[in-house]
Amino acid sequence: MLIDPEKCIACGQCEVYCPVGAITLGDDHAEIDFDECTECYNCLRLADCPVEAIYQQKLEWPRVVRSLLSDVLTIAPESCISGRGTEEMKTNEVTGRFRDGWAGVGIEVGRPTLGARFYDVEKIAMAMAKLDVEFETSNPTTSLMSDVKTGKFKEDVLNEKVLSAIIEFSVPLGKLEKVLEGLKEVSQRIETVFSLCIASRVAPDGEVPTQRVLKKMDIWFAPNGKTNVGLGRPLFREETR
Amino acid sequence: MTHTLHRLGEVGSLERDYVLLFMPSKDINHVDSGPKLRKMLEISLRCGAIKIGDCRHGNEYYQGGLDKLLDNVEDRAVVHAVFNDRDNVVEALKELKEADLGISVVVSGLFERVGECCREAGLAPHTVNNTLGRWGRTDLLPPRDVLEINTMCGHGMVSVKLIEDTAARVKSGELSPAEGAERLFKPCMCGIFNPSRAAELLRAMAGNLPDSKA
Repeated sequence: MLIDPEKCIACGQCEVYCPVGAITLGDDHAEIDFDECTECYNCLRLADCPVEAIYQQKLEWPRVVRSLLSDVLTIAPESCISGRGTEEMKTNEVTGRFRDGWAGVGIEVGRPTLGARFYDVEKIAMAMAKLDVEFETSNPTTSLMSDVKTGKFKEDVLNEKVLSAIIEFSVPLGKLEKVLEGLKEVSQRIETVFSLCIASRVAPDGEVPTQRVLKKMDIWFAPNGKTNVGLGRPLFREETR
Repeated sequence: MTHTLHRLGEVGSLERDYVLLFMPSKDINHVDSGPKLRKMLEISLRCGAIKIGDCRHGNEYYQGGLDKLLDNVEDRAVVHAVFNDRDNVVEALKELKEADLGISVVVSGLFERVGECCREAGLAPHTVNNTLGRWGRTDLLPPRDVLEINTMCGHGMVSVKLIEDTAARVKSGELSPAEGAERLFKPCMCGIFNPSRAAELLRAMAGNLPDSKA
């Protein structure tokens, strides 16, 4: 996104809307730090610029990646839905994506507030790839990898900045401890934050198996979260259940 | 994984914060899902939802009103309803179960309360998603009161500067907490931001307000 300095009257209306603080107000015009801008469209949609000075320049590869993972209303071709994620546990009763004995892992890099560059996303993905995880193929972040076996990303996207990118995979419950240990280690080597989530099926007795692992490892989890209440149809049938 | 998760807050505040998400599954039940999704939103509004939203086309402000939002719901949309009362969530779940539309429903909120809601509606939780919080350079994050508001838009569109600017305007009396909360709702294109809870949080950030503005 750019601001035309000839049109801008420095009213400052756009400045507060930028999620990564990339807009600064000078004496006679506002300016967008092009390297920090994530192409989320927030300023263009919400600032109600009185002189229409904000404009979208042509987005080409690799910069278009910023818009794909930052503008909420962009539809990802991999998932066919808007946003940065996938159906994950939201439709699990019909897809069976996370089955008994498995845990879904979602590592949302850059969330909240900081944003992320892909060199940090890559550090985390490579740490997880060493544990032989299989990244979710319908996730747009996976599509940006040059090698899904190593978690390496395409060279030309590494410095691209996005509001967040989600690394997503599922693992057998027995591997969850190693994944969490790996995430603890790599979290010390990144320049941003990630929000972490773990999904699993609820056992017939109401127990959530992943919570047992978290408690054993003394890892905090919030009292709130997401619950799929099982109303989707047709139901996926697990042979083992 | 995902925009309705990772909402930060004190338990007392989260007691008044629930998001219901309705989603068809690609190539399984997405065909002709648009009218069903619309019906789920209408049920939610009838049961006391304070906001509804659509990830595909944007919130009610962006689309120009609730009617337009409802008219524009398509197959494969992901739509939501925000509640600030657990009893209303129970009523919505009962009606959604009765309607039997075959579309997945996810409830975000305190697990203890959501479990109660499910039991009262005759439903059993199928899959849960736990948030393990924020890892890495947490020293770079804004203060907790700002984060509690910011994390109600999971795509991060409600900026720190907008929150701070709005809190300052509430504190000065330029905006009431409710007016400030509506201002903060607008960037949340999916419409999952809870303005009722945001008004409470803005009121707390502002400290003592004159009665006319509280």
